[in-house]
Amino acid sequence: MDANSIIASLAGKFPDDIYDADVQSEIRIAANVKPENVVEICRYLKEDLSFGHLCCEFGVDYPDRNEIEVIYVIGSYEHPVILTMKALLPRDDPEIESVVPVYWNANWYERETYELFGVKYLNHPDLKPLVLPKEMLGEWPLRRDYEGFPNKTARNLV
Amino acid sequence: MDETVGPSEMIVHLGPQHPMMPGPFRLNAKLRGETVVDSEVEIGWIHKGIEKILENKTYLQGITIVDRICYLAALTNEEAYVGCVEKLAGIEVPERAQYIRVIMEELSRIQSHLLGMGEYASFLGFVSMFMYTIRDREDVMSLIDSVTGARITHSFLRYGGVKDDLPEGFKDDVKYVFGNLRKAIDNYEELYRTDDIYKARTANIGVLTADVAKDLGVSGPPLRATGVDFDIRKDEPYLVYDDLDFNVCTQTDGDVFARIQVRLDEMRESMYIIEQCLDQIPDGPLFPEDTPYGKRSPVMRIPGGEVFHRVEDPRGEMGFYMVSDGSDRPYRVKIRGPVYPTLQALPPLLKGVKVADIVSIAGSMDTCTSEVDR
Amino acid sequence: MDDVEQAEPEVVRYDDVPGVALTDSNAIADFIKKTKIQDVLNWGRKNSLWFMVNAMGCCGVELLATGMAHYDTDRFGIIPRNSPRHADVMIISGYVTKKYLPALRRIWDQMPAPKWVICFGDCAISGGPFYESYSTHQNIDDIFPVDVFVPGCPPRCEALIQGFVELQNKITAKKDKGTEY
Repeated sequence: MDANSIIASLAGKFPDDIYDADVQSEIRIAANVKPENVVEICRYLKEDLSFGHLCCEFGVDYPDRNEIEVIYVIGSYEHPVILTMKALLPRDDPEIESVVPVYWNANWYERETYELFGVKYLNHPDLKPLVLPKEMLGEWPLRRDYEGFPNKTARNLV
Repeated sequence: MDETVGPSEMIVHLGPQHPMMPGPFRLNAKLRGETVVDSEVEIGWIHKGIEKILENKTYLQGITIVDRICYLAALTNEEAYVGCVEKLAGIEVPERAQYIRVIMEELSRIQSHLLGMGEYASFLGFVSMFMYTIRDREDVMSLIDSVTGARITHSFLRYGGVKDDLPEGFKDDVKYVFGNLRKAIDNYEELYRTDDIYKARTANIGVLTADVAKDLGVSGPPLRATGVDFDIRKDEPYLVYDDLDFNVCTQTDGDVFARIQVRLDEMRESMYIIEQCLDQIPDGPLFPEDTPYGKRSPVMRIPGGEVFHRVEDPRGEMGFYMVSDGSDRPYRVKIRGPVYPTLQALPPLLKGVKVADIVSIAGSMDTCTSEVDR
Repeated sequence: MDDVEQAEPEVVRYDDVPGVALTDSNAIADFIKKTKIQDVLNWGRKNSLWFMVNAMGCCGVELLATGMAHYDTDRFGIIPRNSPRHADVMIISGYVTKKYLPALRRIWDQMPAPKWVICFGDCAISGGPFYESYSTHQNIDDIFPVDVFVPGCPPRCEALIQGFVELQNKITAKKDKGTEY
């Protein structure tokens, strides 16, 4: 299965949800998706296109466009193609359906994106802070306009 | 994990400071009698915010930071980061530099496996094995030290090349060390195969099947121990791995014993790769000559774009996703570490095992907490 | 829970045990410090500095390597221990995060006195490469009574051994902070 046929199959199955699909090279393809249908698309990818390996899932903050991108990087054990799938969310109230029912290991990635960017995942089995102490929830430290960075408390600097 | 405790159940917290762990993480296990009913892993005890720091450093400064993501695989971390920059900027690496990178990364794989394997044996109470592996690891460390000048955090790779050439007499040193190491590894293997207690603690313990392992997103030796030959060096070759002859080491049992066996075999393969490299390495420059990104340009602006580059870490698939906006700093760097899914996969693996096997199973994953937390 | 009356545990008193003197002051310890007995005690203490294996960062790997066969610190009486209750020296071998600090305090409280702290590596001293991070805790010397700083990122194993030698010298000279605890 090569990059072009994957894109064609995906765009044929979900004509309304996939846009800006792009073949970057033989092993890298990218596409934007509408956030509403992301679980259905992931299920199709996993079951029919053998994209069984979720490499990672994370957020990127764009304050200028007032958007947060949630990016899914999905690979496969059968073919070398990696799909980069982006869902664009409004920055004020980012909400997206959780893909844990499809990709089990998305659990921690989503919890981390939640506490670092404030992206709320609907129907996540256990949405709570992962790497930060509970008091820091709500600061969203990886957003570009976070004020706690750089931390100026270090005294012993050379 | 459900915190309510039924009759004859209790919750045991292991960690964050616990001898089982090369770094702090916490395992909350709910026990009924001696059987684990449910468990949960808590991480973040050494979360340093590397992704945020990288956004505020120039590309060259970033190299020193990514060193410290995983302290046992600093060179492969650098390779993933530097590879992203090279892909974005379109830099070609000269062949000699590529060979040097392969040599160093394979050496780093050997020392990581030696430590991981020995430490694992010490979790089972087999501390002499830890002494042996650390003794042999020191020889490999001095090889790495002689090239990079550091034992753990090297900052050795640059975009477009490497910092230094191999020192004189390196080939002879490698030959000498590998001669000893081959004997030592045969020795370990025999110890492992003949020790009844070790076998009882590892064989048929923590069994993963190929389908389950794929579903859990596990990569590296735990996945290859189930028979899946998933190795980025073969599946998506970077550097000169295409020209080299090596096998992907797999086992079929998927238990703890198989994971350790995969690591032993991988060390042999790594030595074989390094010897090929030392025979084939051509003369030539360490940096591309006709690009502006040489050793002398600490500040560089690379074209905007997004790239995902992955390499084979000692523990599995290490990937960096980099977003550049055309300035001298990355706009966003996402680090996809191999241990993150592996550690996440512990609770389903631990379901139904006895307390004594928790350490055996968790240790065999060769977790590096620093990389999980970042 | 609150309205359930709990039975007071019976307190065992040793007042009437012959040959046992109880004190709640440091008078005896203060007296001993002025005599030669303290020198003998310190000689014993400085030659059995058992340290706790608490690998927290890159430096933790060097910590493990130091305790093992190649550098063989056992010959100086410096032995790695896994439990804080067995240890005399706590080595802070990495970045102390906001999440980890309470746990580290607890580990320190569990160690029996006399006890010492070594800051191993730049992260524990000044924050190291992560000095501006949002989640790490800086200025560890405000929190723990640090006796020896070992700089480096990470320091080599020999540097840690040198750090122990410095600690031994401090104990001999009675200038360490650990025996106050």
